[in-house]
Amino acid sequence: VSAEASTAEPPTAVGTTYVYGVVPAGSIDAIASTGVRGASVEIVEEDGVAALVSDLPDELRVTRKDLRRHLDVVDEAFRETTILPCPFGTTVESREEVVADVLRPQRDALVDGLKRLEGTVQLNVKVRHDEDALLREIVAAEPAIAHLRQETAGGGGAYGQRLELGRLVAAAVEAYREAGAARVLDALAPEALDVADEPDDELVLKAAFLVERRRQDRFDTAVDRVADAEQKLLRFEVIGPLPPTSFVERVVGA
Amino acid sequence: MAIAQRGTASNYLQRAPSPSGLADVLDVILDKGLVIDAFVRVSVIGIEVLTIDARIVIASVDTYLRFAEAVNRLDLSQTETAGIEELRGGGSKQKAQGAIEGVKEKLTPGKDKEKESSRS
Repeated sequence: VSAEASTAEPPTAVGTTYVYGVVPAGSIDAIASTGVRGASVEIVEEDGVAALVSDLPDELRVTRKDLRRHLDVVDEAFRETTILPCPFGTTVESREEVVADVLRPQRDALVDGLKRLEGTVQLNVKVRHDEDALLREIVAAEPAIAHLRQETAGGGGAYGQRLELGRLVAAAVEAYREAGAARVLDALAPEALDVADEPDDELVLKAAFLVERRRQDRFDTAVDRVADAEQKLLRFEVIGPLPPTSFVERVVGA
Repeated sequence: MAIAQRGTASNYLQRAPSPSGLADVLDVILDKGLVIDAFVRVSVIGIEVLTIDARIVIASVDTYLRFAEAVNRLDLSQTETAGIEELRGGGSKQKAQGAIEGVKEKLTPGKDKEKESSRS
């Protein structure tokens, strides 16, 4: 099944109006980015708030291209104003519902959420271990591990010894992971308004940081510092400034 | 795609203004954002395959053996390296490692096929 293939059937389970997010009314004139399914993006305003929407020409299918378009629309608005982004794939039944069921009844919560996220950006931070460097450090630091390592070298030693070696190393890795996460959080959290920890077993730390836009340089400097200090064992990846998607639910309690 | 690096060129800190890999894009827009009763979410077939906590749970014994071998494989002092292949008679370690790496492969399917212009 081709992901981009269109269907002749009319939309059924899905609404006909796609919603990208909500911005303050009048804060943006138009969206130039192409919307999902190649549709144009329009702005529907009501009493101080406005939704960015597209008419869905047919059923929405999930494609890499449409994921990107959704993000591009949200990102374009984010660069101009404050946006409460919707998750990918958000629709309502009709254009009328945007006003009647979303903007009007939720107006106060939306205005409040927009106010709370005004002037903020999100930085997504992923930290992982350089595994070889970490294992070297662990072998050097723990005599019991170094000993078992020698016992089992070259395929020698009993199965039980290998298992014990692995168990000790796994426990040490976990301890390093926890300690590393704590150090990085300690270094970055003071420069952020909020932190959304999104734990991932593969990573030392995976978190979104909500940062004041005008103080992003301070956050960046804190990242530089902690990455420098931790360069022996930790690898950092930072994506952003992003629209603060991880924090919308915290400010607009559905 | 384009990775901006600040300060001295470092392999320990990478920055990107916008997510480029599918996993990072999904991370930003999939399950996060404004949710209101009136909204209907598209059934995201396909995406679930991608995100269904794709991490395959590896039995702890396998994890231990993988760590044991990884530690053994370390080139600490130019000691032996022979015989490591026999360490695992079964080769389930390869499965364990493959599982972890396979996840990331799965998260970026068709990367080469559908080249999308990155804005960065």
